[in-house]
This record gives sequence, structure tokens and C-alpha cells, in this order.
Amino acid sequence: MSGGLSRQPSDPQPRDDWGVLGELPGDLMMWVLIVSELLVFGAALIAFLAVRTTDPAGFAADQLLLDRTEGAVNTMVLVTSGLCAALAVIARKEGRLRSKRVWLFTAAGFGVVFLIVKGAEYWSKAAAGIDIETSPFFTFYYLITGFHAAHVIAGILILILLAWADSVRTMETGVAFWHMVDLVWVLLFPIIYLLR
Amino acid sequence: MNARAMIEAWMLLLVMSALTTALTLIEMSGQGRMIIAAGVLTLAGLKARVILSFYLQLRTSRFWTRAFDLAIGGFLVVCFGLYVLAMEP
Repeated sequence: MSGGLSRQPSDPQPRDDWGVLGELPGDLMMWVLIVSELLVFGAALIAFLAVRTTDPAGFAADQLLLDRTEGAVNTMVLVTSGLCAALAVIARKEGRLRSKRVWLFTAAGFGVVFLIVKGAEYWSKAAAGIDIETSPFFTFYYLITGFHAAHVIAGILILILLAWADSVRTMETGVAFWHMVDLVWVLLFPIIYLLR
Repeated sequence: MNARAMIEAWMLLLVMSALTTALTLIEMSGQGRMIIAAGVLTLAGLKARVILSFYLQLRTSRFWTRAFDLAIGGFLVVCFGLYVLAMEP
């Protein structure tokens, strides 16, 4: 990136002259992306809850068709994946490159497990004849969780690419995307699956 | 931040996830449901805070920790308000 909003890859110095912006770890543009994504998902979840007020009984009936266990398993999977990604950054900072790769691939592997569980969930819904047009609840369900799953796919690709990235800053920036995916899920899961 | 802090954060996330699941197993009606919903959303906010503070390393910045606390707290309050609005009288 050109311009003054990001450090150069070889520059480990903090951005002291940027005030509070300099306190953000990694690349500032990643934080712009993280905040943008949180706003998009936040708006979608508020829209979901707002529409729910128009038909609480219908939403409650549809929500009973979701598998909360699968959602809870995926929460465990994602937070564990986040730990592996965080440990990859620490390994890189300590110069343990082989360990860094192992943690990154483990994190990506958990991401794949998340997608498999999500895929099984979609499969069971499709088998029951439930699709995006079944009801307003399922329209939101597919749009929000599908959009999140797309971010998981992007995150897995980033984690794999990071295995060949050498700078700490690139590691912090790429892994921050993965933590954002994790962060969105811990807010999304209770609102869509659990609030009855 | 060291590996030990990350592992502690992860354990905290697992405990809070288990607590969330336990809360949703309680069958309640009326005000009880509201309390459970408030608990579930509070735990979601706490999990988000742990991810921001540890995984995303915002713990070192008081400004950004407060900014995200305010934003996510405000979001969860709006969510709870809409949840209550949808409750049948």
C-alpha cells in the first residue's frame, strides 16, 4: 500500500505520530476492514431482530429447526482455531518458523472442520426442504451464516498463504482477519441460534 | 503477549461458551426468559472482549478497549431491546 496509513513491511517501529491509531496492532487497513465487517454483520443482526418483532412466533418455530449443538461445536472449533492462529504469531515472533507453519495449518484445519459442520447443517436443512425462501427467518439465517462462511473460506486461504509470509506485520495482519471471523461468530451464534 | 496468556484466554472462551449452552438449557417463561437472554448476550459481549483483548491484542490500548466495549455494548443493548420488544405480553 502506498501513502501514510501503513508501516512498511520492514518497519517494526510503532506509529507514534498517529495518536491512538498507532496503538492498533498490525496494518491499519485491516482494522478498517474489521470495523467495516463488524458494522455489516451488526446491521444484519439488528435487521434480523427487528424483523423478528413482526412475527416472534414464526421466528421461534423456525429457530427450533436449527441444531444448537452443531452451532456450539462450531464455536469451540473457531475459538480453538483462533488460539492456534495466535500461537502462530507468537512462534513467528520467537523465530520458530516450523512451529509457525504447524500452528497456521492447524488453525486452517479447524476452519475446514467448521465448514464441514456448517455444510452438514445446510445439507440437513436442504434435505428437509428448507431453503432461503422458506421464511424470513431462513432468509436471514442463510444470508448471515452464508456470508460468514464465505469469510471463513477467505480466512482459511489467508492462513495458508501466511505459511509462506515472513514478516511479523504480515502475520499479525492476516491473523487479525481470522480473529475477526471468530469475533463475528461469537456475536452471531447466540442471536440467531440461542435467543428464544 | 505470551502463549500462556493466549491459552488462558482460550480456556476462558471455552468456559463462557459452556456457560452459554448451560443457560439455554434452562426452560423459562416471561421474565425468566428475559434474564436468560440478558445472560446469553452478556456472555457474547464478554467473549467478544476476550477475543479483542487477547487474540487481537487490544489489551495494550486503553482507548481502543473502551471504544470497542462501548460499540459492542451498545450493539448488545439494542439487540436486547429488540428481543424484549418481540416478547409476547
